[in-house]
Amino acid sequence: MNVNRRQVLWAGGCIGAAALLAACTGGNGAASSGSGGKPRKGGTLRIGALGRASALTRDPHGNQGNESDYLVIALVYDTLTAPGLKDNTVGRLARAFTPSKDLKTWRFTIAEGATFHDGTAVTADDVVWSLRRLRNTPAGAARLPGVKAEHITAEGKHTVVLVSDYANAELPSLTRLSTFILKKNTPDKDIAKAPGTGPFKLDWYRGGNARLLRNEHWYGGQVHLDAIEVTMFESPQAMANAILSGQIDVASNAGAVAARTAATRKDIQVVRRPNDMAMPIVMRTSGGPFADARVREAMKLVVDREAMVKQVLSGYGTVANDILGTGDPDYAKDIPQRHRDLAKAKQLLKDASFDFSRTYELVTTEDVSGLAESATLFASQAREAGIKIEVVKQESGTFYQKTWLKGDFYTNYWGTNDSVVFFASKTLSTGAGQNEADWSDKDFDAAYHKVIATADTKARTAALRGLQQIEHDRSGYLLWGMADGIDLAAPKVHGLPKLPGYGRVQLENVWLAP
Amino acid sequence: MTGTTAPPAESATRPVAASAAHRAGALALRIASALGKRLAMLLVLLAVVFAAIELLPGDAASATSERGEGAAGIAARRHLLGLDRPVWERFWDWITALPTGDLGTSARGQQVTDLLAAPLPNTILLGTTAFVLTVIAALALGIWSAARPRGIVDRVVDLTSTAAFALPEFVVSIGLLLVLSLWTGWLPAATVTGGDGAPASWTMLVMPVLALTVPQTGWNTRIVRAALADQAATPHVEAAHLDGLPRRRVLLRHALPGAWPAIATGIATSTGMLLGGTVVVETLFNYPGIGTVLAGAVADRDTPVIAAVVACAAALITVVLLLADLVRARTLGARS
Repeated sequence: MNVNRRQVLWAGGCIGAAALLAACTGGNGAASSGSGGKPRKGGTLRIGALGRASALTRDPHGNQGNESDYLVIALVYDTLTAPGLKDNTVGRLARAFTPSKDLKTWRFTIAEGATFHDGTAVTADDVVWSLRRLRNTPAGAARLPGVKAEHITAEGKHTVVLVSDYANAELPSLTRLSTFILKKNTPDKDIAKAPGTGPFKLDWYRGGNARLLRNEHWYGGQVHLDAIEVTMFESPQAMANAILSGQIDVASNAGAVAARTAATRKDIQVVRRPNDMAMPIVMRTSGGPFADARVREAMKLVVDREAMVKQVLSGYGTVANDILGTGDPDYAKDIPQRHRDLAKAKQLLKDASFDFSRTYELVTTEDVSGLAESATLFASQAREAGIKIEVVKQESGTFYQKTWLKGDFYTNYWGTNDSVVFFASKTLSTGAGQNEADWSDKDFDAAYHKVIATADTKARTAALRGLQQIEHDRSGYLLWGMADGIDLAAPKVHGLPKLPGYGRVQLENVWLAP
Repeated sequence: MTGTTAPPAESATRPVAASAAHRAGALALRIASALGKRLAMLLVLLAVVFAAIELLPGDAASATSERGEGAAGIAARRHLLGLDRPVWERFWDWITALPTGDLGTSARGQQVTDLLAAPLPNTILLGTTAFVLTVIAALALGIWSAARPRGIVDRVVDLTSTAAFALPEFVVSIGLLLVLSLWTGWLPAATVTGGDGAPASWTMLVMPVLALTVPQTGWNTRIVRAALADQAATPHVEAAHLDGLPRRRVLLRHALPGAWPAIATGIATSTGMLLGGTVVVETLFNYPGIGTVLAGAVADRDTPVIAAVVACAAALITVVLLLADLVRARTLGARS
């Protein structure tokens, strides 16, 4: 029964990851795998994605629990913007987006020729209605932060105006993942069948599985595949088995364990998408044993990052430098990498009068593969510095109720990793809703406010560099590494997205070799 | 001859008819009372389910929240889902809507009846197939081994049935997956469904059914074998044996009828274990049934979904237990 429970939890964990990804993240649209040869039109792509039958969601503005449902929704409906390659935000249904001088008012221009699957043209009214609907959901305040529903208006037929309560240079990036556009006044009962504007049209959907057909008139360009068949999988193992036995062509977000199994098979491509998932160790900064910044720095010097990546992630990942948002084009690669230094760590702990006689509890969950293992390995590494750590595993519900945002010392995971500012706003600035380490740093807050209020690219990048230095030096996050996102694919599949997070759902460029 | 026999024959049929009517009435009463009792038990069970979910840390609003969602958003959804009302109120609302076929709404806003529409028939198909196979295999093996007590067949069946029963479903499943799919490629490793929500091919049922059947056959074979052994020691079977009747005839005509009550009860309890096993088996083979719905719903603290699955499973088990009761009543009644 143990194995079963683990598997169920594992599957659940991946979905939890999906939920958080849906809340925020992005990958990039353009970069793709296996670009061998000229794209060929036709064929049906059979893709597996994780999901649970109990958590089905058909509403594009609902709380997405299933990667499989999000995949279907993202293929049928378009968001205003999308994760991009060079810039982390690119236009999608919005061809362009321009700010006012004060960075409060943003104008989104609808792409030319954009139509719904029933043939009607997309108007600014449809977009306004959809964005307001999104904003009025319970999670709306988090999805479009700083933009009130009444501050979303139409300007003519093709322009939508969003007015933020404060200067926000990052506003377009907030519209990448959940701003699905539906027709104005679509009643709730018809939501599941409402026509979208996306590259694929819904043929059928049942019990989490779906079949989609090419939209011949997509404004975004030529779509190669005739159809996509989505199969929902409860567990990554079952999905890996399905691709190994040739029942599906792509296993989306299959994970490191499946990748290791498939690595021995010549007939399976392992597509790695770097910077997909962060699994930081959180140390409470406002009280308890880690309140002293020297103790936190010592912990960051105790961890053996290479060993963590090798053992916890089976090597499918990269070492990180205690700064969240590693996939950001403006990520500060020039800040020196922190390495293991037990002597310095011990000195710092001594200076801070750290209590070596105590045993410290590190709370973890099995929500994502590798999370509990990361806690265990870190505990054994810390023992080498004379620090006694006991790993306490909690069930997901218990963890979120009792430990998350409250505990002194715990592991957690984030799937949004292409924006440093995202983490600054959500988890690091004073009073942020998910300030996991309860951190409050005046210099950091000042840097953050400067970043979001600066339009000039150069000045913004400089401010962002300063912000990252502070985060690296003294925040409550020990970020030892980044897990790759891993898709498995049959050799005939080309053009798969290669970027982290939900960039993986953009399948319009995928094609099948004969 | 005809003159004298007619009246007694006529008078004899009347009590027979009357007693038949009486027996039919008694049977109906028996079924009704059994059903009533089980219905009451189901109500208690569902109340316990509601209470148990309430006691788990976290609730559906927080379990299904988005990571970016603030406390205000979660509170708003808690209100939308009615979770800010007392648990007995929610239980009453759910249970009173049940007779109308309304199973409520999931924490993510789907109708629970929609969530179960495709999985329930799939699980019934899987469970029934496994059940029928279990009954056939257990009877065949049990009788075969009882035919020659302590013979070679008896000893082999004894050993293998114990081993099979001791194997958890996931061990059987993984073994089947490796041998029948990943190494040989004979059977599809996972279940893929078509537009109707049912498995795309019957071959996808083979391994899930086997994974459920093997452990349960082990269990039931032992019950059949033991029940037959008990019967073999009864005077009427011994007498039949001493009368020199053929071994097979003694076994099938004299020992087996008396063994039915024990066998029926054993098989009926298998129903619960079969349904429990589907949670594991469905996940491993990606078979779209209610077992997987249940596993996910518990993680989400999604009480209406959990209660609906429990109600469906309990209804299935009730039917089987009722049938077992009838078999027992019939056999014991015939003997008394």
